[in-house]
Amino acid sequence: MKAFNKLLIASFKQFFRDRTALFFTFAFPLLFMLIFGLVFSGGGNISYDIGLVNNDDSATSTGITQAIEQVPLFKISEGNLEEKMAELESGDLRAVIVIPKDTESRLILGETADITVYYDPTQTTSAQIILSALSEVIDEVNQQLTQQPVLLQLVEESTLSKQLRDIDFLVPGILAMSVLFLGLFGGLPIVEWREKQVLKRLGATPIRRSTVISSQVAYRLVLAVLQTVIIIAIAYFAFDTQILGNWLVLLGLVILGTLTFVSLGYLAVSRARTSEGAIPIVQLIQFPMLFLSGVFFPVEILPDFMRPIVAALPLTYLGDAFRQVMVDATPLYPLGIDIAVLAGWLVICMVLTIRFFRWE
Amino acid sequence: MLTIEVENLVKCYGDIRAVDGISFQVAKGEVYGMLGPNGAGKTTTVEIIEGLRQADSGRVSVMGMDVTKAPDKIKQRIGIQLQAPALLPLLRVEEVLDTFTGFYRNSLPVDELLEMLALQESRKVLAKNLSGGQQQRLSVAMALVNDPEIAFLDEPTTGLDPQSRRGLWTVIEDMRHKGKTVFLTTHYMEEAEHLCDRVAIIDHGKIIASGSPQELITNYFEERAIQFEMDPPPPRAVLQGFPGTTNVAINVNEVVIYSKNIPTTMSAILKFAEKEELTSQLKDLHVRQATLEDVFLKLTGRKIRE
Repeated sequence: MKAFNKLLIASFKQFFRDRTALFFTFAFPLLFMLIFGLVFSGGGNISYDIGLVNNDDSATSTGITQAIEQVPLFKISEGNLEEKMAELESGDLRAVIVIPKDTESRLILGETADITVYYDPTQTTSAQIILSALSEVIDEVNQQLTQQPVLLQLVEESTLSKQLRDIDFLVPGILAMSVLFLGLFGGLPIVEWREKQVLKRLGATPIRRSTVISSQVAYRLVLAVLQTVIIIAIAYFAFDTQILGNWLVLLGLVILGTLTFVSLGYLAVSRARTSEGAIPIVQLIQFPMLFLSGVFFPVEILPDFMRPIVAALPLTYLGDAFRQVMVDATPLYPLGIDIAVLAGWLVICMVLTIRFFRWE
Repeated sequence: MLTIEVENLVKCYGDIRAVDGISFQVAKGEVYGMLGPNGAGKTTTVEIIEGLRQADSGRVSVMGMDVTKAPDKIKQRIGIQLQAPALLPLLRVEEVLDTFTGFYRNSLPVDELLEMLALQESRKVLAKNLSGGQQQRLSVAMALVNDPEIAFLDEPTTGLDPQSRRGLWTVIEDMRHKGKTVFLTTHYMEEAEHLCDRVAIIDHGKIIASGSPQELITNYFEERAIQFEMDPPPPRAVLQGFPGTTNVAINVNEVVIYSKNIPTTMSAILKFAEKEELTSQLKDLHVRQATLEDVFLKLTGRKIRE
């Protein structure tokens, strides 16, 4: 235990004297968040440009139009179908709502009228928000029309009422990215120790190899928790992003994610002789992982044939788990699956690392 | 009492027999030196004894324990200095030592170690900012953290200035006075002659001679050495024909003639030089006692630091 503590303290002393490490651990994720935050938040609440095509000149359709216009999230512009569809395609509009011609007459006859929404499915985030806001409005209108008493009411603390913005989606992504970096790059100091014969020097003392490795992993875990606290604090104070989920679950996920990526990082460099040789290997894992796991943009953008890759990457599951726990976003997978896949990766990487890792 | 026993050690790398059947013993309290050129197999041998490498065959016992069976027990009681200093660059000198004290059950106070290696003034300096000599001294201090019964020092004075080298010799002599064993590898012959109770000369993975420095010199040399420079040097056949000459070594312009009869050999050299005066100048002629360097030269035909 004495050896473990001394090595851990030594690691922290070195870390706080290493400006590059400090920058990449703390400043870099924050910079990332600030830039994205400023781009997305635009100084206030977001509104979506929505096109409205009212083909039914009736009191009912006017009522529906008014109800839709009252949604604070929507900026409505009316017009005809071709015009609005062209704007949607060119990206000026996020969605087009069409109220069909004989809405009122159908309703009087007791028939259903279909209100159609056109949207760009690649804009998942905004599409989801628009659709759920819209269905809420339609439900309300429905109720007024049918005059049925409300017996069962869903009291909804929906993400919508919390104004889930892009920045709120981004914060869990940045946290996942930071855990990925911290873990993957965790192998590099070991390569440096191998290259400069520090591992050999430690091997000349009675210290156990398991003590050396566990102190390094513990060091990474502490850094990961520190980093998480800072990211969440900035997200809260600068962008008012609230953490909705359970803090202990979040802490558990940070630890699991760090362990998984540390072991992947160790596996990646288990045979590398020099830092120069190790860095490209780590980057080769890091970049595809970052772009293919939906941490910063929805995976729906990617072509279908890449989906299996997305579904295989551990970062997909960490990002998904963070989103669920932090901002209560719609899950891609149940939390249990996220945890199981991460744990699976952890075990496989550990077994392979033990098999392939070269001490010298 | 024997503290290190090595029997028929063999270690191959591919086709190269880096250690080729080495056997020797070191008594407790001895300063034992292993001499040889780079690549002779010194470091490999030492690292097998330390338990850092596995031998292909042979047996090593340290303080009565088999090195392959009780490496951790042995490591508690020995101190190891590697050729590469292997420091953590962003730790201060005193922090490096303090970290290492955590690895042993018993350790010396950091202050005492700093004093022993004259590092008090640089105790707050980051390891990466140390000069080569300071790094080397810190590296020795790291080997002495646990007040070891046997200290293995692998070329500890390489790269040191003469003053630091003398300082380190004092450290080694102090260890001897305390009854500790020091296992030293070096390619400085004068260092081995000064410090070592016994030395083994190793070349191509084999011990080619061993004994106390004085024994080696007298065993291999009834003769003394006559050394001079000539440009160009005389042909070897001519030199070997001088009366009293037993052996000749020529290294560029430097000539060493080993002779059992200094006056006759000397007068032959002077006559030859007089005759050749116009084509070749005789310089720096002197007679000296043979040294370990000469023993090495005689045994291998090479200088140790070629």
